[in-house]
Amino acid sequence: MASEAPLAPTTRVDTSALDKKPRARETIIQALLFIAGAISILTTVGIVYVLVSQAWLFFSDQQVNIVEFFTGTTWQPRIGRFGVWPLLSATLMITTIAMFVALPAGLGTAIYLSEYAAPRTRARLKPILEILAGIPTVVYGFFALTFMTPLLQSIFGPQVQVFNTLSAGIVVGILIIPMVGSMSEDALQAVPDSLRQAAYGIGATKLETSLRIVVPAAISGIAAAVVVAISRAIGETMVVTIAAGSGPNFTLNPFEAAETLTGHIARISGGDLSYDSVDYNSIFALGLLLFVITLILNMISRRIVARFREVYE
Amino acid sequence: MAQNTTNGFPEGDALQSQISGRHLRGTIWRIVFLSTLILAIIVLIILLVTIFVDGFGLVAVQNVVEPESLVLDYVETDMLTAPDTIASEDDNELVAGIAGDPDGTGFFGYAFYANNSDKLRLVSIENTIPDDTTTSDGSYPLTRPLELISSASVIAAKPQVGQFILYYLQHVNEEIENIGYFAIPDAEISEIELAVMEALGLDTSGSVPMIDPATVSGNITIAGSSTVFPLTERIAERFKADGYGGEINIESIGSSAGIRAFCVDGSIDIANASRKILPEERAACRSNDRDPIESQVGTDAIAVVVNPANTFADNLSLEELGILFTTAAVWSDVDGSWPDNPVHRYIPGADSGTLDFFASTAFDLRLQDLPKDALVAILGAGITENVGRRLEREQRFYNNAVVFNSAEEWVAVCSSDEPPAGCTSEERSQNNVYLLVQERIVQPKILQAWPLTESIFNRQTIIDEVGATYPDARVEFRSWLNRHFLNSPTSSQPELAGFRTAILGSIFVIIICILFALPVGVGAAIYLEEYASQDKWYNRIIQTNIYNLAGVPSIIYGMLGLAIFVRALEPITSGALFGFSDAATANGRTILSAGLTLGLLILPIIIINGQEAIRAVPNSLRQASYGLGATKWDTVRSHVLPGAIPGILTGSILAFSRAIGETAPLIVVGASTFVTVDPTGPFSKFTVMPILIYNWTSRPQKEYQYLAAAGIIILLVLLIIMNSLAIYLRNRTQGKRA
Repeated sequence: MASEAPLAPTTRVDTSALDKKPRARETIIQALLFIAGAISILTTVGIVYVLVSQAWLFFSDQQVNIVEFFTGTTWQPRIGRFGVWPLLSATLMITTIAMFVALPAGLGTAIYLSEYAAPRTRARLKPILEILAGIPTVVYGFFALTFMTPLLQSIFGPQVQVFNTLSAGIVVGILIIPMVGSMSEDALQAVPDSLRQAAYGIGATKLETSLRIVVPAAISGIAAAVVVAISRAIGETMVVTIAAGSGPNFTLNPFEAAETLTGHIARISGGDLSYDSVDYNSIFALGLLLFVITLILNMISRRIVARFREVYE
Repeated sequence: MAQNTTNGFPEGDALQSQISGRHLRGTIWRIVFLSTLILAIIVLIILLVTIFVDGFGLVAVQNVVEPESLVLDYVETDMLTAPDTIASEDDNELVAGIAGDPDGTGFFGYAFYANNSDKLRLVSIENTIPDDTTTSDGSYPLTRPLELISSASVIAAKPQVGQFILYYLQHVNEEIENIGYFAIPDAEISEIELAVMEALGLDTSGSVPMIDPATVSGNITIAGSSTVFPLTERIAERFKADGYGGEINIESIGSSAGIRAFCVDGSIDIANASRKILPEERAACRSNDRDPIESQVGTDAIAVVVNPANTFADNLSLEELGILFTTAAVWSDVDGSWPDNPVHRYIPGADSGTLDFFASTAFDLRLQDLPKDALVAILGAGITENVGRRLEREQRFYNNAVVFNSAEEWVAVCSSDEPPAGCTSEERSQNNVYLLVQERIVQPKILQAWPLTESIFNRQTIIDEVGATYPDARVEFRSWLNRHFLNSPTSSQPELAGFRTAILGSIFVIIICILFALPVGVGAAIYLEEYASQDKWYNRIIQTNIYNLAGVPSIIYGMLGLAIFVRALEPITSGALFGFSDAATANGRTILSAGLTLGLLILPIIIINGQEAIRAVPNSLRQASYGLGATKWDTVRSHVLPGAIPGILTGSILAFSRAIGETAPLIVVGASTFVTVDPTGPFSKFTVMPILIYNWTSRPQKEYQYLAAAGIIILLVLLIIMNSLAIYLRNRTQGKRA
């Protein structure tokens, strides 16, 4: 083709044909793709709008007092008492128990996999964490009710009720072990090998290297993992709905039944719910509280990673 | 330690001990770290084992009506109503009938054939004719054992019982042929004698002493099978004739009643039975301290005969036997090489035990194998007219006929303003009618159930316990995960409940979820990676927002779904806008709402995974494409997407497997827990697997816990398949790049 074209080096070629031209198809497709991306924004807007507007209806109800909501220790919609603490305390108790389980287990697992295990062993063992992470939460609920609670009853005796926060808390802890484990392991893996070599060079043992060099270096990632795990534990629903009991109970006794924020939302909305009743609106107020708590925790987690991450060359 | 140092560092022994101390600490912590991992593995194993153990185990079941008896009734009716069939309680009449009819055939106890062998011709069954050998080794199929059942405790308390049984065994083979039954070999008789003697506490090393009835005193009570009755009566007469001074009372009440009288009531010393004792009966006996000893004294056989003029029918298989006595009109229906002569049947009547015996042995039918018409008839015979009418209005039994409603009534109901679903529905399937029969007629009730571990380790205790507590129940091994479970909707009776609607519901929901989330998620990922400039504030917001959405608790998505899809968009999600005004749809609590809610839930996961996959496509591909003059979309479509698809699929499959297991948001959206009708489309009300598992788990009855375990097994198997697929895709692409 080139040989047939007239060779006229002195002629200026008109390149305006190559300029970017509006192409209808490209524009439409880009618009469609943008809409797909914007749906996620719509989702967030939807969540905030729904929660806030329904919660607003709830708080503007005559029976409800916003101060009592945040300070009250009785949640009995039937007699018009809406104090969130019984639900919140159960949530916090279960989260605490869960972290007592998940933190040591998850961190230990992460340190072993990252620092001790040979690459082949790690490749074989890591899928176990993935399996644990892939099991639906309703199955963990079943496990809590049919295995953990009887186990606790056989250890602590009849003071352990059939539904109790201890069993739910432990199982929620098991549930988030993979999360703490794999996020922490990623953080540990990101620590450059030169740090380890340097520690060995001055005579540190493997343990000293792991605990005094690698873990501190990865602490931001680990902290982020812990915060995300707390958020996950607070938002976990099925285990607590099945195993922690139904009925708000302001107690710190882990052997007693107590309903969490999520458990209450699930129970109320699972029943026959009449729209625009106080009950219906109340779950949105609780949902808003839950949303705000988890959102703050997630943002803290991301902030920790962003701000405190050690950048290694 | 410090005293040995010169420069602040330990030396010598102190150095040694410091080093070994550090090593020890290192080892201990290493073990601690390892044990956390092992703990996680153990928990996983316990979790899976707990579920598995609950999914299988022994159950004690009691039916209101035994399915076997329904099948037997059906078979017997089939036989008695077959054309050219003459039924009679009098066996002599049958003999005379067949003897006088060249096309005649029939069956009765072997005794009658033996007495009339000159007028009849015996047909072999499965190439076997009944004689002492074929009946005792079981090769002739139409046989049943004749037994005496007693126990060591009874024999210890009443020695005359043991002595009578020994006498019986010693002389039965002299009498049995006269009665018309088959003898069992002498060697076997001797073994049974030894067992009885052991129970009597006699020395079994020497020869068996002949019993002299003159030395025996005390009364004996016997009851049970009518078949064994004449034989026992004959032996008893002989016992008395030989000098026995006591009274023997024999009653013919049937095998089951006899065993019950012996085991549970304890009112008799020996039970006559024309079948083996069942495990539950044995357990019931044991719990009453009457551990049964069975002594077989002979074998009964049924003879199938034809007129001597019939020269072709020499042998019948069991299958041919079934055809011959039910549907066959001419002999060639049984075997094509036989002539077209009509079949004339002469069989024992409905009240005869022989008919029951023949029907239960010659036909290998189960209730679920019966034709639909037969099941409908069984159903009709067992339920009230009202219930029948209601069932028919829910879903009709036949497209072209009504069963329980009268024709006029049906037309009236169906032309009313609100015709019931049955007027237009598809007719009930055979399986559907079978389930109705199970639910309404058989009504199996699981009285108690045990997990697998107990079923294995405490088997005997469980059987004994059931025998004592529920004498009519039978203990059987049940896999809660079975075909019925997969095929049936949930039910208020745990033994009938199934997973079908939940499985279908999950499939429907996940399809909606995929149709929504996959294009949107991949589209968003393409936009963010290929189009969006990070300089624009809105693109940064989209990206941050996606990360935040990934951390929102799933139940919040449920509330979003409830407020938006179920309430605000009800006209769309209930299908009302498209003319689906079915009252059965649940006001927007539909498959569509659930699928969209789950779609929103997993959207961030799909987007984030999709972005990673797209980012992994080498930039050189894009540059090459642009260099050839391709537009952005051409580049994305033809070069970026094909390279990213395995990664996108891997992430998406993982996301969808998360969606399948999600429960909380669907509770809030309003999944129904009790749905017995298969979903038909996006506007059906629905239930899904995890919802049903949750519902079953939270019920107090233990049986539902086992059902939940079975459901979990199905759910986990499905998830494992999906995850394996994802891992396979991941490994394949990793292999390619390497």
